[in-house]
Amino acid sequence: MVETVLLVGVVASIFVGFNIGGSSTGIAWGPAVGAGLLSKVAAAGLMTFFVFLGGWTVGRNVMDTLAGDIITIEISLAAGVAVLFFIGTGILIANVFGVPVPTSMTTVGAIVGLGLATGTANFETIGWIVSWWVVTPILGFWVGAMVGRYIYPELNRRVQIEKSEGALITIDRSGSLPRPALGPNSTYGELTGTIVVLIIGCYMAFSAGASNVPNAVAPLVSSGALEANPAIFIATIAIGVGGFTIARRTMESVGTELSDIPLLAALVVMTTAATITTALSWIGIPISLVMASVMTIVGLGWGRATRPITARDAMRGETDTEITTGALKAEPDTPVTKIGEEEHEEVLSADDLFNPRAIMKYVSMWIIGPAMSTLLAYAFFVVVPGVA
Amino acid sequence: MLSRVLVPMDDSEMAAQALKYALEAHPDAEITVLHVAGGPSSMWGGASGLALADDLEEASQEHAQDVFDRAHEIAAEYDAEIDTEVQLGHPVRAILKQADDYETVVIGSHGGTVAERLFVGNVAQKIFRRSPVPVTVVR
Repeated sequence: MVETVLLVGVVASIFVGFNIGGSSTGIAWGPAVGAGLLSKVAAAGLMTFFVFLGGWTVGRNVMDTLAGDIITIEISLAAGVAVLFFIGTGILIANVFGVPVPTSMTTVGAIVGLGLATGTANFETIGWIVSWWVVTPILGFWVGAMVGRYIYPELNRRVQIEKSEGALITIDRSGSLPRPALGPNSTYGELTGTIVVLIIGCYMAFSAGASNVPNAVAPLVSSGALEANPAIFIATIAIGVGGFTIARRTMESVGTELSDIPLLAALVVMTTAATITTALSWIGIPISLVMASVMTIVGLGWGRATRPITARDAMRGETDTEITTGALKAEPDTPVTKIGEEEHEEVLSADDLFNPRAIMKYVSMWIIGPAMSTLLAYAFFVVVPGVA
Repeated sequence: MLSRVLVPMDDSEMAAQALKYALEAHPDAEITVLHVAGGPSSMWGGASGLALADDLEEASQEHAQDVFDRAHEIAAEYDAEIDTEVQLGHPVRAILKQADDYETVVIGSHGGTVAERLFVGNVAQKIFRRSPVPVTVVR
Protein backbone atom coordinates (compact mmCIF):
# COMPACT_ATOMS: atom_id res chain seq x y z
CA MET A 1 0.00 0.00 0.00
CA VAL A 2 2.71 2.48 1.03
CA GLU A 3 4.70 1.52 -2.08
CA THR A 4 1.70 2.22 -4.30
CA VAL A 5 1.10 5.63 -2.71
CA LEU A 6 4.78 6.46 -3.00
CA LEU A 7 4.77 5.39 -6.63
CA VAL A 8 1.80 7.66 -7.35
CA GLY A 9 3.65 10.43 -5.50
CA VAL A 10 6.80 9.96 -7.53
CA VAL A 11 4.77 9.99 -10.74
CA ALA A 12 3.16 13.26 -9.60
CA SER A 13 6.62 14.62 -8.74
CA ILE A 14 7.87 13.74 -12.18
CA PHE A 15 4.87 15.44 -13.75
CA VAL A 16 5.54 18.59 -11.75
CA GLY A 17 9.28 18.48 -12.46
CA PHE A 18 8.69 17.84 -16.14
CA ASN A 19 6.50 20.94 -16.43
CA ILE A 20 8.90 23.05 -14.37
CA GLY A 21 11.62 21.95 -16.78
CA GLY A 22 9.50 23.15 -19.65
CA SER A 23 8.81 26.59 -18.28
CA SER A 24 12.07 27.44 -16.53
CA THR A 25 14.26 26.27 -19.42
CA GLY A 26 12.34 28.73 -21.54
CA ILE A 27 13.12 31.59 -19.20
CA ALA A 28 16.75 30.67 -18.65
CA TRP A 29 17.68 29.92 -22.24
CA GLY A 30 15.02 31.55 -24.42
CA PRO A 31 17.08 34.70 -25.06
CA ALA A 32 20.33 32.87 -25.84
CA VAL A 33 18.60 30.34 -28.10
CA GLY A 34 16.56 33.09 -29.70
CA ALA A 35 19.74 35.01 -30.47
CA GLY A 36 21.12 31.91 -32.14
CA LEU A 37 23.99 31.60 -29.69
CA LEU A 38 23.41 27.94 -28.89
CA SER A 39 21.13 25.07 -29.89
CA LYS A 40 18.06 23.98 -27.97
CA VAL A 41 19.69 20.65 -27.17
CA ALA A 42 22.80 22.32 -25.79
CA ALA A 43 20.57 24.64 -23.75
CA ALA A 44 18.63 21.69 -22.29
CA GLY A 45 21.90 19.93 -21.45
CA LEU A 46 23.34 22.94 -19.63
CA MET A 47 19.97 23.48 -17.96
CA THR A 48 19.89 19.96 -16.53
CA PHE A 49 23.40 20.18 -15.13
CA PHE A 50 22.97 23.57 -13.47
CA VAL A 51 19.49 22.76 -12.16
CA PHE A 52 21.04 19.79 -10.42
CA LEU A 53 23.82 21.93 -9.01
CA GLY A 54 21.31 24.50 -7.73
CA GLY A 55 18.99 21.88 -6.28
CA TRP A 56 21.81 19.96 -4.65
CA THR A 57 23.31 23.00 -2.92
CA VAL A 58 21.12 26.05 -2.25
CA GLY A 59 17.90 24.14 -2.98
CA ARG A 60 18.26 22.17 0.24
CA ASN A 61 17.43 25.26 2.27
CA VAL A 62 14.16 25.69 0.40
CA MET A 63 13.51 21.96 0.73
CA ASP A 64 13.83 22.29 4.52
CA THR A 65 11.31 25.13 4.57
CA LEU A 66 8.75 23.37 2.39
CA ALA A 67 9.16 19.96 3.99
CA GLY A 68 9.41 21.00 7.60
CA ASP A 69 8.81 24.63 8.49
CA ILE A 70 5.48 25.68 7.01
CA ILE A 71 3.51 23.25 9.12
CA THR A 72 4.53 22.06 12.52
CA ILE A 73 4.09 18.36 11.78
CA GLU A 74 5.55 16.36 8.94
CA ILE A 75 3.52 16.08 5.74
CA SER A 76 2.25 12.51 5.62
CA LEU A 77 2.92 10.59 2.44
CA ALA A 78 -0.75 10.61 1.39
CA ALA A 79 -1.06 14.34 2.13
CA GLY A 80 2.19 14.95 0.26
CA VAL A 81 0.80 13.23 -2.80
CA ALA A 82 -2.38 15.31 -2.56
CA VAL A 83 -0.29 18.51 -2.26
CA LEU A 84 1.65 17.47 -5.36
CA PHE A 85 -1.61 17.11 -7.24
CA PHE A 86 -2.53 20.68 -6.35
CA ILE A 87 0.88 21.88 -7.52
CA GLY A 88 0.45 19.88 -10.72
CA THR A 89 -3.00 21.36 -11.33
CA GLY A 90 -1.62 24.87 -10.92
CA ILE A 91 1.12 24.16 -13.41
CA LEU A 92 -1.32 22.58 -15.82
CA ILE A 93 -3.52 25.69 -15.73
CA ALA A 94 -0.43 27.84 -16.23
CA ASN A 95 0.72 25.83 -19.23
CA VAL A 96 -2.64 25.33 -20.92
CA PHE A 97 -3.76 28.95 -20.63
CA GLY A 98 -0.34 30.57 -20.72
CA VAL A 99 -1.06 32.32 -17.44
CA PRO A 100 1.91 32.86 -15.16
CA VAL A 101 1.07 30.91 -12.00
CA PRO A 102 4.24 30.87 -9.94
CA THR A 103 4.92 27.28 -8.91
CA SER A 104 6.64 28.15 -5.65
CA MET A 105 3.60 30.12 -4.54
CA THR A 106 1.20 27.34 -5.47
CA THR A 107 3.32 24.90 -3.50
CA VAL A 108 3.41 27.03 -0.38
CA GLY A 109 -0.31 27.73 -0.78
CA ALA A 110 -1.19 24.04 -0.92
CA ILE A 111 0.94 23.21 2.12
CA VAL A 112 -0.58 26.14 4.05
CA GLY A 113 -4.03 24.79 3.12
CA LEU A 114 -3.04 21.48 4.64
CA GLY A 115 -1.76 23.26 7.73
CA LEU A 116 -4.98 25.25 8.16
CA ALA A 117 -7.12 22.15 7.77
CA THR A 118 -5.13 20.27 10.39
CA GLY A 119 -4.50 23.26 12.66
CA THR A 120 -0.76 22.90 12.26
CA ALA A 121 0.09 25.96 10.21
CA ASN A 122 3.25 27.72 11.37
CA PHE A 123 2.18 31.32 10.96
CA GLU A 124 5.57 32.73 11.83
CA THR A 125 7.22 31.02 8.86
CA ILE A 126 4.26 31.75 6.58
CA GLY A 127 4.37 35.44 7.47
CA TRP A 128 8.12 35.50 6.85
CA ILE A 129 7.67 33.91 3.42
CA VAL A 130 4.77 36.13 2.41
CA SER A 131 6.61 39.28 3.41
CA TRP A 132 9.45 38.29 1.09
CA TRP A 133 6.90 37.72 -1.65
CA VAL A 134 5.84 41.33 -1.21
CA VAL A 135 9.41 42.63 -1.14
CA THR A 136 10.67 40.63 -4.15
CA PRO A 137 8.58 42.25 -6.89
CA ILE A 138 9.29 45.69 -5.44
CA LEU A 139 13.00 44.93 -5.33
CA GLY A 140 13.00 43.56 -8.89
CA PHE A 141 11.08 46.58 -10.11
CA TRP A 142 13.38 48.98 -8.32
CA VAL A 143 16.58 47.40 -9.65
CA GLY A 144 15.09 47.30 -13.14
CA ALA A 145 13.96 50.91 -12.95
CA MET A 146 17.34 52.15 -11.72
CA VAL A 147 19.20 50.29 -14.44
CA GLY A 148 16.68 51.29 -17.10
CA ARG A 149 16.84 54.92 -16.15
CA TYR A 150 20.47 55.56 -15.36
CA ILE A 151 22.65 52.72 -16.63
CA TYR A 152 21.03 51.04 -19.61
CA PRO A 153 21.37 53.80 -22.22
CA GLU A 154 25.10 54.07 -21.55
CA LEU A 155 25.48 50.29 -21.44
CA ASN A 156 23.58 49.97 -24.70
CA ARG A 157 25.94 52.39 -26.42
CA ARG A 158 29.03 50.50 -25.35
CA VAL A 159 28.02 46.87 -25.56
CA GLN A 160 27.04 45.14 -28.75
CA ILE A 161 26.09 41.50 -28.67
CA GLU A 162 25.70 40.18 -32.15
CA LYS A 163 25.87 36.90 -33.93
CA SER A 164 27.82 37.08 -37.15
CA GLU A 165 27.50 34.67 -40.05
CA GLY A 166 29.43 31.42 -39.80
CA ALA A 167 30.80 29.44 -36.88
CA LEU A 168 31.95 31.36 -33.83
CA ILE A 169 35.03 29.22 -33.37
CA THR A 170 36.85 27.11 -35.92
CA ILE A 171 39.75 24.75 -35.46
CA ASP A 172 42.95 26.09 -36.88
CA ARG A 173 44.90 23.12 -38.29
CA SER A 174 47.66 25.04 -39.97
CA GLY A 175 50.16 24.60 -37.14
CA SER A 176 51.60 21.38 -35.83
CA LEU A 177 48.85 21.20 -33.21
CA PRO A 178 45.20 21.96 -34.11
CA ARG A 179 43.96 24.84 -32.02
CA PRO A 180 40.75 26.78 -31.82
CA ALA A 181 40.56 30.08 -33.65
CA LEU A 182 37.84 32.64 -34.21
CA GLY A 183 35.40 31.84 -37.01
CA PRO A 184 35.36 33.69 -40.34
CA ASN A 185 33.31 36.70 -39.22
CA SER A 186 33.78 36.52 -35.47
CA THR A 187 35.33 39.18 -33.35
CA TYR A 188 36.72 38.90 -29.85
CA GLY A 189 33.86 41.08 -28.71
CA GLU A 190 31.38 38.59 -30.08
CA LEU A 191 33.20 35.73 -28.38
CA THR A 192 33.15 37.59 -25.06
CA GLY A 193 29.47 38.44 -25.52
CA THR A 194 28.57 34.84 -26.21
CA ILE A 195 30.49 33.61 -23.18
CA VAL A 196 28.73 36.18 -20.97
CA VAL A 197 25.32 35.08 -22.29
CA LEU A 198 26.18 31.45 -21.59
CA ILE A 199 27.41 32.18 -18.07
CA ILE A 200 24.30 34.18 -17.22
CA GLY A 201 22.12 31.41 -18.67
CA CYS A 202 23.88 28.90 -16.42
CA TYR A 203 23.41 31.22 -13.43
CA MET A 204 19.70 31.45 -14.23
CA ALA A 205 19.52 27.65 -14.54
CA PHE A 206 21.26 27.32 -11.18
CA SER A 207 18.75 29.62 -9.50
CA ALA A 208 15.89 27.75 -11.20
CA GLY A 209 17.23 24.54 -9.69
CA ALA A 210 17.62 26.10 -6.25
CA SER A 211 14.06 27.42 -6.22
CA ASN A 212 12.21 24.80 -8.22
CA VAL A 213 13.71 21.39 -7.45
CA PRO A 214 12.15 21.45 -3.96
CA ASN A 215 8.67 22.17 -5.40
CA ALA A 216 8.65 18.86 -7.20
CA VAL A 217 9.74 16.65 -4.32
CA ALA A 218 9.55 18.37 -0.93
CA PRO A 219 6.03 17.05 -0.16
CA LEU A 220 7.39 13.50 -0.41
CA VAL A 221 10.63 14.20 1.45
CA SER A 222 8.80 15.56 4.50
CA SER A 223 7.48 12.21 5.70
CA GLY A 224 10.78 10.51 5.04
CA ALA A 225 9.17 8.35 2.35
CA LEU A 226 11.83 9.68 0.04
CA GLU A 227 15.34 10.71 1.07
CA ALA A 228 16.47 14.18 0.02
CA ASN A 229 19.32 13.02 -2.22
CA PRO A 230 17.40 10.58 -4.44
CA ALA A 231 14.56 13.12 -4.46
CA ILE A 232 16.86 15.78 -5.91
CA PHE A 233 17.98 13.29 -8.55
CA ILE A 234 14.38 12.46 -9.49
CA ALA A 235 13.45 16.13 -9.74
CA THR A 236 16.53 16.93 -11.80
CA ILE A 237 15.84 14.12 -14.25
CA ALA A 238 12.20 15.18 -14.60
CA ILE A 239 13.19 18.83 -15.12
CA GLY A 240 15.85 17.72 -17.59
CA VAL A 241 13.37 15.64 -19.58
CA GLY A 242 11.04 18.65 -19.64
CA GLY A 243 13.96 20.75 -20.81
CA PHE A 244 14.74 18.44 -23.69
CA THR A 245 11.10 18.03 -24.77
CA ILE A 246 8.39 20.62 -24.03
CA ALA A 247 10.97 23.37 -23.50
CA ARG A 248 11.44 23.37 -27.29
CA ARG A 249 8.08 25.08 -27.39
CA THR A 250 8.43 27.26 -24.28
CA MET A 251 11.88 28.45 -25.37
CA GLU A 252 10.00 29.91 -28.30
CA SER A 253 6.92 31.23 -26.48
CA VAL A 254 8.57 32.51 -23.30
CA GLY A 255 11.68 33.13 -25.38
CA THR A 256 9.70 35.32 -27.75
CA GLU A 257 8.47 37.39 -24.84
CA LEU A 258 12.03 37.81 -23.63
CA SER A 259 13.31 38.26 -27.18
CA ASP A 260 10.99 41.23 -27.55
CA ILE A 261 13.43 43.03 -25.31
CA PRO A 262 17.00 43.50 -26.52
CA LEU A 263 19.42 40.74 -25.54
CA LEU A 264 21.40 43.14 -23.40
CA ALA A 265 18.27 44.03 -21.43
CA ALA A 266 17.41 40.34 -21.12
CA LEU A 267 20.82 39.76 -19.59
CA VAL A 268 20.24 42.53 -17.06
CA VAL A 269 16.88 40.97 -16.22
CA MET A 270 18.30 37.47 -15.91
CA THR A 271 21.21 38.54 -13.73
CA THR A 272 18.89 40.45 -11.41
CA ALA A 273 16.27 37.71 -11.25
CA ALA A 274 18.80 34.94 -10.75
CA THR A 275 20.52 36.87 -7.97
CA ILE A 276 17.28 37.63 -6.13
CA THR A 277 16.08 34.05 -6.53
CA THR A 278 19.36 32.48 -5.44
CA ALA A 279 19.70 34.78 -2.44
CA LEU A 280 16.17 34.10 -1.22
CA SER A 281 16.55 30.36 -1.81
CA TRP A 282 19.72 30.56 0.25
CA ILE A 283 17.77 31.83 3.24
CA GLY A 284 15.12 29.19 2.60
CA ILE A 285 12.40 31.33 1.05
CA PRO A 286 10.46 29.56 -1.72
CA ILE A 287 10.40 32.10 -4.52
CA SER A 288 9.43 32.07 -8.14
CA LEU A 289 11.97 32.89 -10.80
CA VAL A 290 9.17 34.28 -12.97
CA MET A 291 8.13 36.79 -10.34
CA ALA A 292 11.55 38.40 -10.05
CA SER A 293 12.05 38.26 -13.83
CA VAL A 294 8.78 39.91 -14.78
CA MET A 295 9.04 42.74 -12.30
CA THR A 296 12.60 43.47 -13.41
CA ILE A 297 11.39 43.59 -17.02
CA VAL A 298 8.58 45.98 -16.09
CA GLY A 299 10.99 48.08 -14.03
CA LEU A 300 13.53 48.27 -16.82
CA GLY A 301 10.96 49.36 -19.38
CA TRP A 302 9.27 51.77 -17.00
CA GLY A 303 12.54 53.27 -15.88
CA ARG A 304 13.54 53.88 -19.47
CA ALA A 305 10.11 55.13 -20.51
CA THR A 306 9.91 57.69 -17.74
CA ARG A 307 13.47 58.90 -17.73
CA PRO A 308 13.42 62.65 -17.27
CA ILE A 309 15.64 63.56 -20.19
CA THR A 310 16.76 61.79 -23.32
CA ALA A 311 20.29 60.44 -23.37
CA ARG A 312 21.16 62.67 -26.31
CA ASP A 313 20.10 65.80 -24.49
CA ALA A 314 22.10 64.74 -21.48
CA MET A 315 25.18 64.34 -23.62
CA ARG A 316 24.75 67.74 -25.17
CA GLY A 317 24.32 69.13 -21.69
CA GLU A 318 20.92 70.56 -22.49
CA THR A 319 19.40 69.66 -19.19
CA ASP A 320 17.02 72.40 -18.43
CA THR A 321 15.01 70.78 -15.69
CA GLU A 322 12.51 73.62 -15.75
CA ILE A 323 10.88 72.33 -18.90
CA THR A 324 11.12 68.59 -18.39
CA THR A 325 7.39 68.23 -17.90
CA GLY A 326 6.47 68.40 -21.54
CA ALA A 327 8.78 68.41 -24.47
CA LEU A 328 11.78 66.69 -23.00
CA LYS A 329 9.96 64.03 -21.13
CA ALA A 330 10.27 60.43 -22.23
CA GLU A 331 9.46 60.92 -25.90
CA PRO A 332 12.34 60.56 -28.25
CA ASP A 333 12.85 63.52 -30.53
CA THR A 334 9.73 64.36 -32.48
CA PRO A 335 10.07 62.47 -35.74
CA VAL A 336 10.94 64.53 -38.74
CA THR A 337 8.17 64.14 -41.28
CA LYS A 338 9.60 62.73 -44.46
CA ILE A 339 8.33 63.96 -47.80
CA GLY A 340 5.25 62.03 -48.85
CA GLU A 341 4.72 60.69 -45.38
CA GLU A 342 1.56 61.48 -43.57
CA GLU A 343 2.02 63.74 -40.62
CA HIS A 344 1.56 62.05 -37.26
CA GLU A 345 -1.15 63.65 -35.28
CA GLU A 346 0.30 62.59 -31.97
CA VAL A 347 3.77 61.60 -30.95
CA LEU A 348 3.83 58.15 -29.39
CA SER A 349 4.57 58.20 -25.71
CA ALA A 350 6.36 55.33 -24.01
CA ASP A 351 4.56 56.34 -20.82
CA ASP A 352 1.45 54.64 -22.19
CA LEU A 353 3.17 51.27 -22.13
CA PHE A 354 3.09 50.91 -18.37
CA ASN A 355 -0.39 51.63 -17.21
CA PRO A 356 -0.39 51.23 -13.41
CA ARG A 357 -3.83 49.61 -13.41
CA ALA A 358 -2.78 47.02 -15.97
CA ILE A 359 0.28 46.23 -13.87
CA MET A 360 -1.84 45.92 -10.74
CA LYS A 361 -4.19 43.60 -12.55
CA TYR A 362 -1.23 41.48 -13.55
CA VAL A 363 0.22 41.42 -10.05
CA SER A 364 -3.17 40.46 -8.62
CA MET A 365 -2.75 37.09 -10.28
CA TRP A 366 0.11 36.44 -7.89
CA ILE A 367 -2.35 36.90 -5.07
CA ILE A 368 -5.21 34.96 -6.63
CA GLY A 369 -3.06 31.97 -7.64
CA PRO A 370 -1.68 31.02 -4.23
CA ALA A 371 -4.94 32.03 -2.51
CA MET A 372 -6.87 29.61 -4.72
CA SER A 373 -4.31 26.92 -4.07
CA THR A 374 -4.61 27.47 -0.30
CA LEU A 375 -8.40 27.44 -0.39
CA LEU A 376 -8.69 24.35 -2.55
CA ALA A 377 -6.16 22.43 -0.48
CA TYR A 378 -7.89 23.53 2.73
CA ALA A 379 -11.30 22.43 1.42
CA PHE A 380 -9.89 19.14 0.24
CA PHE A 381 -8.18 18.27 3.52
CA VAL A 382 -11.26 19.27 5.50
CA VAL A 383 -13.58 17.17 3.35
CA VAL A 384 -11.21 14.22 3.22
CA PRO A 385 -9.65 14.27 6.68
CA GLY A 386 -8.27 10.73 6.38
CA VAL A 387 -5.60 11.89 3.96
CA ALA A 388 -4.00 14.46 6.20
CA MET B 1 -23.25 58.06 -44.83
CA LEU B 2 -20.28 57.62 -42.53
CA SER B 3 -17.02 59.05 -43.66
CA ARG B 4 -14.51 58.22 -40.94
CA VAL B 5 -14.30 54.65 -39.64
CA LEU B 6 -11.82 53.28 -37.11
CA VAL B 7 -10.97 49.57 -37.26
CA PRO B 8 -8.74 48.42 -34.38
CA MET B 9 -6.85 45.29 -35.41
CA ASP B 10 -4.61 42.70 -33.82
CA ASP B 11 -3.28 39.65 -35.64
CA SER B 12 -6.43 37.59 -35.03
CA GLU B 13 -8.85 36.22 -37.58
CA MET B 14 -11.72 38.16 -35.97
CA ALA B 15 -9.88 41.42 -36.58
CA ALA B 16 -9.56 40.54 -40.26
CA GLN B 17 -13.29 39.80 -40.34
CA ALA B 18 -13.97 43.21 -38.81
CA LEU B 19 -11.97 44.97 -41.52
CA LYS B 20 -13.76 43.00 -44.24
CA TYR B 21 -17.09 43.98 -42.75
CA ALA B 22 -16.06 47.63 -42.50
CA LEU B 23 -14.98 47.65 -46.15
CA GLU B 24 -18.28 46.12 -47.22
CA ALA B 25 -20.54 48.24 -45.04
CA HIS B 26 -18.74 51.56 -45.57
CA PRO B 27 -17.34 51.37 -49.10
CA ASP B 28 -16.98 55.13 -49.44
CA ALA B 29 -15.63 55.86 -45.99
CA GLU B 30 -12.08 56.70 -44.99
CA ILE B 31 -11.02 53.65 -43.03
CA THR B 32 -8.20 53.81 -40.52
CA VAL B 33 -6.71 50.58 -39.20
CA LEU B 34 -5.36 51.06 -35.69
CA HIS B 35 -2.93 48.62 -34.12
CA VAL B 36 -2.01 48.87 -30.47
CA ALA B 37 1.51 47.61 -29.79
CA GLY B 38 3.19 46.76 -26.50
CA GLY B 39 0.09 45.84 -24.52
CA PRO B 40 0.15 43.85 -21.29
CA SER B 41 1.44 40.31 -21.89
CA SER B 42 2.53 37.36 -19.81
CA MET B 43 6.02 38.73 -19.21
CA TRP B 44 5.65 42.33 -20.38
CA GLY B 45 8.29 41.69 -23.01
CA GLY B 46 6.50 43.62 -25.75
CA ALA B 47 5.97 46.73 -23.64
CA SER B 48 9.51 46.78 -22.26
CA GLY B 49 11.01 46.05 -25.66
CA LEU B 50 9.35 49.13 -27.10
CA ALA B 51 10.31 51.26 -24.12
CA LEU B 52 13.94 50.24 -24.56
CA ALA B 53 14.00 50.77 -28.32
CA ASP B 54 16.27 53.50 -29.66
CA ASP B 55 13.52 54.82 -31.88
CA LEU B 56 10.08 54.29 -30.43
CA GLU B 57 8.30 55.34 -33.61
CA GLU B 58 10.25 52.96 -35.79
CA ALA B 59 10.00 50.06 -33.36
CA SER B 60 6.22 50.47 -33.03
CA GLN B 61 5.79 50.54 -36.79
CA GLU B 62 7.87 47.39 -37.03
CA HIS B 63 5.64 45.69 -34.46
CA ALA B 64 2.56 46.63 -36.40
CA GLN B 65 3.92 45.77 -39.82
CA ASP B 66 2.48 42.26 -40.07
CA VAL B 67 -0.97 43.44 -39.08
CA PHE B 68 -0.82 46.36 -41.52
CA ASP B 69 0.43 44.14 -44.33
CA ARG B 70 -2.52 41.87 -43.79
CA ALA B 71 -4.86 44.86 -43.64
CA HIS B 72 -3.55 46.25 -46.93
CA GLU B 73 -3.98 42.81 -48.52
CA ILE B 74 -7.59 42.69 -47.43
CA ALA B 75 -8.20 46.25 -48.58
CA ALA B 76 -6.72 45.40 -51.97
CA GLU B 77 -9.32 42.65 -52.36
CA TYR B 78 -11.97 45.34 -52.05
CA ASP B 79 -10.07 47.83 -54.22
CA ALA B 80 -9.98 50.18 -51.26
CA GLU B 81 -7.35 52.35 -49.64
CA ILE B 82 -6.83 52.38 -45.90
CA ASP B 83 -4.84 54.49 -43.49
CA THR B 84 -2.84 52.87 -40.75
CA GLU B 85 -1.99 54.08 -37.30
CA VAL B 86 -0.11 52.60 -34.39
CA GLN B 87 -0.65 53.36 -30.72
CA LEU B 88 0.98 52.01 -27.58
CA GLY B 89 0.00 50.32 -24.36
CA HIS B 90 -3.34 49.13 -23.13
CA PRO B 91 -5.54 48.31 -26.15
CA VAL B 92 -8.78 49.59 -24.59
CA ARG B 93 -7.35 52.93 -23.49
CA ALA B 94 -5.54 53.43 -26.77
CA ILE B 95 -8.61 52.68 -28.89
CA LEU B 96 -10.89 54.87 -26.79
CA LYS B 97 -8.41 57.73 -27.06
CA GLN B 98 -8.65 57.56 -30.85
CA ALA B 99 -12.36 56.81 -31.14
CA ASP B 100 -13.36 60.45 -30.60
CA ASP B 101 -11.91 61.45 -33.96
CA TYR B 102 -14.07 58.96 -35.83
CA GLU B 103 -17.72 58.51 -36.53
CA THR B 104 -17.81 54.83 -35.76
CA VAL B 105 -15.66 51.95 -34.57
CA VAL B 106 -15.79 48.50 -36.17
CA ILE B 107 -14.12 45.83 -34.03
CA GLY B 108 -13.80 42.03 -33.99
CA SER B 109 -15.65 40.36 -31.12
CA HIS B 110 -12.52 38.78 -29.69
CA GLY B 111 -8.89 38.16 -30.40
CA GLY B 112 -5.78 36.95 -28.73
CA THR B 113 -5.19 34.11 -26.33
CA VAL B 114 -6.85 33.26 -23.03
CA ALA B 115 -3.88 34.80 -21.24
CA GLU B 116 -4.21 38.06 -23.13
CA ARG B 117 -7.89 38.22 -22.31
CA LEU B 118 -7.02 37.67 -18.68
CA PHE B 119 -4.65 40.65 -18.69
CA VAL B 120 -6.81 43.11 -20.58
CA GLY B 121 -10.24 41.50 -20.59
CA ASN B 122 -12.49 41.41 -23.61
CA VAL B 123 -11.42 44.48 -25.57
CA ALA B 124 -14.49 44.56 -27.85
CA GLN B 125 -16.84 44.43 -24.88
CA LYS B 126 -15.08 47.30 -23.12
CA ILE B 127 -14.99 49.43 -26.27
CA PHE B 128 -18.66 48.68 -26.82
CA ARG B 129 -19.51 49.91 -23.32
CA ARG B 130 -17.30 52.98 -23.16
CA SER B 131 -16.93 54.28 -26.69
CA PRO B 132 -18.11 57.85 -27.31
CA VAL B 133 -19.16 56.88 -30.85
CA PRO B 134 -21.34 54.03 -32.18
CA VAL B 135 -19.59 50.65 -32.24
CA THR B 136 -20.14 47.67 -34.51
CA VAL B 137 -18.94 44.39 -33.03
CA VAL B 138 -18.26 41.84 -35.76
CA ARG B 139 -18.73 38.22 -34.81
